[in-house]
Amino acid sequence: MAWIRFVLMSLALLFAAGAASAQDGVQNRGPHVRIELIAESERPAPGSEITLAFASTPEPGWHAYWENPGDAGLPAKAAWTLPPGAGAGPLRYPVPHRLIIAGLMNYVYEAPFAPLVTLKVPADARLGDALPVRVKLDYLVCTDEICVPEKAELATRLTIGDGAVPADRRSRFDTWRTALPRPLGTPAKYQVDGKTFRLEIPFPAAATLSGEGYFFPLTDGAIDYAAPQRVVRDGDRIVVEAPSKRALPKVEGLLAFGSQGFLLSAAPGTVAAASAGAAPAGWITTALLAFLGAVAGGVILNIMPCVFPILSLKALSLVKAGDEAGNPRGEALAYTAGVVLTCLVLGGILLGLRAGGAAVGWAFQLQDPRVILFLLLLASAIALNLAGLFEIPAPAFANRAAARGQGGAFLTGALAAFVATPCAGPFMGAALGTALILPWPAALAVFGGLGLGIALPFLLLGFVPALRRRLPRPGAWMATLRRILSIPMFLTALALAWVLGRQAGVDGMALGLGAALLAAFGFWWAGRRQARGASHAWLPALPLLLLALAAAALVRPAPVGAERPAVAGAEPFSEVRLAELRAAGRPVFAYFTADWCLTCKVNEKGAIETEAVADAFAKGKVAVLVGDWTNGDPALGRFIERHNRAGVPLYLWYKPGSAEPEVLPQILTQAMLRNLSSGG
Amino acid sequence: MSKWIVAGIAVACVASAVPLAAEPAVGTAVPNFRAYDMHGKIVDLSQFRGKTVVLEWNNPGCPFVKKHYESGNMQKTQAAAVAQGAVWLTINSGAPGKQGHMNGPEAQQFVAAQGAKPSAYLLDPQGLVGKGYGAKTTPHLYIIDGKGRLAYNGAIDDKPTADKADIATARNHVLAALGELRAGKPVSVAQSRPYGCTVKYAS
Repeated sequence: MAWIRFVLMSLALLFAAGAASAQDGVQNRGPHVRIELIAESERPAPGSEITLAFASTPEPGWHAYWENPGDAGLPAKAAWTLPPGAGAGPLRYPVPHRLIIAGLMNYVYEAPFAPLVTLKVPADARLGDALPVRVKLDYLVCTDEICVPEKAELATRLTIGDGAVPADRRSRFDTWRTALPRPLGTPAKYQVDGKTFRLEIPFPAAATLSGEGYFFPLTDGAIDYAAPQRVVRDGDRIVVEAPSKRALPKVEGLLAFGSQGFLLSAAPGTVAAASAGAAPAGWITTALLAFLGAVAGGVILNIMPCVFPILSLKALSLVKAGDEAGNPRGEALAYTAGVVLTCLVLGGILLGLRAGGAAVGWAFQLQDPRVILFLLLLASAIALNLAGLFEIPAPAFANRAAARGQGGAFLTGALAAFVATPCAGPFMGAALGTALILPWPAALAVFGGLGLGIALPFLLLGFVPALRRRLPRPGAWMATLRRILSIPMFLTALALAWVLGRQAGVDGMALGLGAALLAAFGFWWAGRRQARGASHAWLPALPLLLLALAAAALVRPAPVGAERPAVAGAEPFSEVRLAELRAAGRPVFAYFTADWCLTCKVNEKGAIETEAVADAFAKGKVAVLVGDWTNGDPALGRFIERHNRAGVPLYLWYKPGSAEPEVLPQILTQAMLRNLSSGG
Repeated sequence: MSKWIVAGIAVACVASAVPLAAEPAVGTAVPNFRAYDMHGKIVDLSQFRGKTVVLEWNNPGCPFVKKHYESGNMQKTQAAAVAQGAVWLTINSGAPGKQGHMNGPEAQQFVAAQGAKPSAYLLDPQGLVGKGYGAKTTPHLYIIDGKGRLAYNGAIDDKPTADKADIATARNHVLAALGELRAGKPVSVAQSRPYGCTVKYAS
């Protein structure tokens, strides 16, 4: 039957017009991708560059291919017909999706997408001239079962004019523009190590990323597409590991995290394995080392201002209990249980969030200003309590438990662990970072180790009577020590207020301090009543405390960029502001940065934000404009596109009077900026 | 027809000596395989030792395969290879129920209707041979030299389109490599990116 089908089909082909799209039997009603050619401006100015979009909509169940289609498939090919002097750039694609069919990898689009193209308008074109744009697009579109090569003849007729862009069209293009990957200015490197391809991408540790990481290679043949990859954040770098196919002189590609993408080019070099769990077999060793590191870190945390006061109180209670009275071992165990359990719970939540795809780090609870506010109130309360303003009335059930001291010890432990997490960051970074990429049982072991470390000194005191005997006898000095211990606690509160200010701005900090003040009044009031021996000493103070806690509902993170310090007097970049400053005859230094750009951060710390440069800028009356492209702001994207295709960092120097800015190199020095601002 | 499927599966399970997903690299020894051809005869790769063998992955429904068959380009290449003393094995790794899958009689009709000139048309419904060689597209071509080493892996030519008009100006990688092998010269393009439809493996 097949030959009959073949003959019939061949005959049909002779008569069919769009032959190429009619080759797949029944499913030949095309096109399976609807493509529209849209120009951002229909009246482009002579000599300008405008953006064209291939707004594409695949039929449900069909997919079109990315620049590198993967194991099979084809990228689209565009043949342009343009008037002399005009030119079209390469297609720029949004971040694709992965589609594995029967073990073969396809890099595709299954939903509407729009590759963009830059069109150069002839410089000698005259106003009112027609600018016909024609393009023949050859592309492949497939389902899981069949493939159909399609052709599209697209055209649009532009008229040379003033370059005006209608607002609705601009917003449409801006949406497409934000979907494009951003060029990562900093070069990456890669190494083929046996059967493993290892790629290292410089990326600041502080920059946030969400979603699963994946490297889409543009260079064919470097890695096995269908094999799973390992993407690890390791300090100021991201390491991608995949099975290698063959050594190549250069590897280009797209690093994607969720819908965010970064274009990069990697040269051969030496790439160290990611610090954690390099080989799958090695993770037990890594986990063990991380566990020991976590224990050591936990011990160090005991002398941190946030933990020490709590610990000391507990030690004092042991001293009070003396050797015979009480149950020091039981208390020590209960305290340990409290600490370890809290650490495990926090770690479990973190791992749960990690599994859910959220990008969180340790101290994730500290990224929310509401939690900071709560901790601020807690720290203030503890400080005031240590200072002797009031006594904590233990609830009846806690009192009964505390009669043996164990319930109280457990709660103290839990509190110590919860409060310790803000201090954990700097000391524990490595161990916790490891925990985040280890298999979950090993990760939990690391969190447990941290808790054990915090509890260790107390455990020793509980179990070694000799140590306890070394502790001084109880006496009036204890009250003095307690007052003194309130000082680090007050400092902790101060630090938390500062963090709150960083996160929620001046308003948020004022709100937090107000809430702390309100709570302090409440404690004071209750303390006075306690001193008088009034019954229900806390009743009148409770509403004040609740009000203070309610402030947490009001505090909001400050808008992004509001707390960016940059250079004194620096303003957010806008083309309007740039024009104003230039009209005023001032030299302007405009720089474009992003949180994910390591070179930008290095330049900012090493050159731009230094005192010497700030002085030189002030002396030369240099205006500084900062463009933050972290979230791919399309307005900035258009501007960067016009000046430098490579993305950020981009440093522009506008000398008064000169028409065009000077594009500064991507590595800045203080001397360079000082010379420029002194008119050199 | 079901007899063919059962037999094919049986042979694939019992006789096939191809390690799974062990794509051979150019210059290294290729894995051996055994499979039924379209007449129900068992074909063993090792029986061709000493001869140059071309493997061609085929799916008659794929537009890229049609490009090369309807234009006669594939048949011409097959005839030239066989005339040079090479063995040409066309292999179908399409799974039952998927586009391009054929049983023996269907394959015979296809070969006859197209005037194709393979030494044998092999059926690989389980995709064992295809996965063993890392065949990704239809067409996808491999050349194995007389010593059993992979000499070429990739596309039939350097114009990855479905357009027949492109054949005239394309470099036929397979003919070029066969010519170089015969002349005792190293294969200048030993690897290229195969293009076409994905091989419709059983998932």
